[in-house]
Amino acid sequence: MIDLVAAEVLKLRSTRTALGLLIAAVLVGLVPAILVLAFAPADFLEDDTVGGFGLVVAGVTIVPLLGLVFGILSMTNEYRHGTITYSYLVTPRRARVIVVKLLVCFVVGVVVLALVGSLVTLTALIGYGVRGLELQTAPLFEEGVAQTLVLVLLAAGLMASFGVGLGALFRNQPATVAGTLIWALAAEGIVVGLKPGIGQYLPFAALDQVVSGGMTVGTGAEVGLSRPEAFLISLGYIAVVSVAAVYTTMRRDVT
Amino acid sequence: MSVVHVEHLSKRFGKSVVAVDDVSFTLEKGSITGFLGPNGAGKTTTLRMIVDLVRPTAGSIAVLGGHYRDLDRPWTRVGALLDASGFHPGRSGANALRVVARASGISDARVAEVLELVELEAAARRAVKGYSTGMRQRLALACVLLGDPDVLLLDEPANGLDPEGMRWLRTFLRARAAEGKTILVSSHVLAEVEQTVDDVLIISKGRLVARGPLASLGAGVSPVVRLRSPQAELLQRRLQERGAAVNRLDDALAIRGPSAAQVGETAHDCGAVLHELLTERPSLEDLFLEIAGTRRPGS
Repeated sequence: MIDLVAAEVLKLRSTRTALGLLIAAVLVGLVPAILVLAFAPADFLEDDTVGGFGLVVAGVTIVPLLGLVFGILSMTNEYRHGTITYSYLVTPRRARVIVVKLLVCFVVGVVVLALVGSLVTLTALIGYGVRGLELQTAPLFEEGVAQTLVLVLLAAGLMASFGVGLGALFRNQPATVAGTLIWALAAEGIVVGLKPGIGQYLPFAALDQVVSGGMTVGTGAEVGLSRPEAFLISLGYIAVVSVAAVYTTMRRDVT
Repeated sequence: MSVVHVEHLSKRFGKSVVAVDDVSFTLEKGSITGFLGPNGAGKTTTLRMIVDLVRPTAGSIAVLGGHYRDLDRPWTRVGALLDASGFHPGRSGANALRVVARASGISDARVAEVLELVELEAAARRAVKGYSTGMRQRLALACVLLGDPDVLLLDEPANGLDPEGMRWLRTFLRARAAEGKTILVSSHVLAEVEQTVDDVLIISKGRLVARGPLASLGAGVSPVVRLRSPQAELLQRRLQERGAAVNRLDDALAIRGPSAAQVGETAHDCGAVLHELLTERPSLEDLFLEIAGTRRPGS
């Protein structure tokens, strides 16, 4: 198993895909933060609702979506470039290949969000300091700083693992990336908008609620799950997709 | 000692495509066997079933006494070249091998050794997308050798190789054979393997139609005698009168049935001038037509 993890890490280090997505994640987190810190009015930044600091870190909530794409690419690249043949020749117990990929991508998702979150927080501290403003972070951590950070980081990891599971199920890279993003950004959004009571339980809505800490829709009535609830539902989706991915992978022919 | 034992192996894709149909054979330790057949005959599917990439519809396979998937560190026991393009184009040749080596618990030092063995050390740091077809084929062979396995399954290893590459491959196979490796090498071109293999398996439309030493299989196939003569039309008539099957294109004849000596005597009898007379060894296509048409599977 350790050999497989080492091989998987080398796969990530030896192409530009992971590096490109890491750079994208840093930019997605930092650029909005810098723009908000530079141009937002002082009273907005000191707002004690989610508004001020919430907008500074808004870019960070997109990072798990990049983790999802990373997970999909990490699995579907194997099929796209035919490297899956060697992967299964070397490790004919295919479940091990999938499980290691799920684990490695989970860790990558956690680490990248932690890195980007830290950079954005550091930037915010500097920005608020330079402008002489008071940082209001309490609204983002209503459920406790430690619990919120842990769940958000775990959700980011799960999102990347979710991508691996989807990639193993569908294998076709363009279709999986496009289909997943359309589902996550459009289809679920429509369901959440029209039927929030149902939409809140959909996979990406649940993961988003872990990362963003709830959702507000419609006439201002707040609906949605608590972070722990959303996390458990997300965990259920990832478990189902992962088991399905392993099950189908073990039975499919590699031609 | 049997290294690979395949028994009544079949593979059906969907309801209508029978890729492999009741194939049985055994590879003995230290043998080099050619696995011959036209494109689409079922060679690749058979090889993929041996290493558990494709699930058989029926039949059984034993590799080194058991299932491939049950082998401990299988890449150190069996090396399979099934897809020379199976490398990430953005990864360097060395890293492509290191990925496989790490997953198999093989050291990076061995990666350097096999790169030198296939004469790719100078290109090791270049991305695979910059490799020629021949270089990719060598990289794939290097990958197969990483674990120094005793069994090599090579699917069309000569695909895309230029004449120099073909010669290199023949030398490569002979060297591995000298080391006592058991090798199964598939090809749809007889000339690629005939100088190297001990035995051949011939597969056509999913069925094994012949097996045995290449010379004995070829012996049953009528050679083609070719000649060029200004009196080709006259010669064609005389040869046909004596029961030969003759095709003519201008002054060239292709004759099946009589030997070159008999054709020469016929030419002498009718006073025909010969500009060329030669016996052509049967091509793989000839073997297929002859064997598939007259022999029962497995005979």
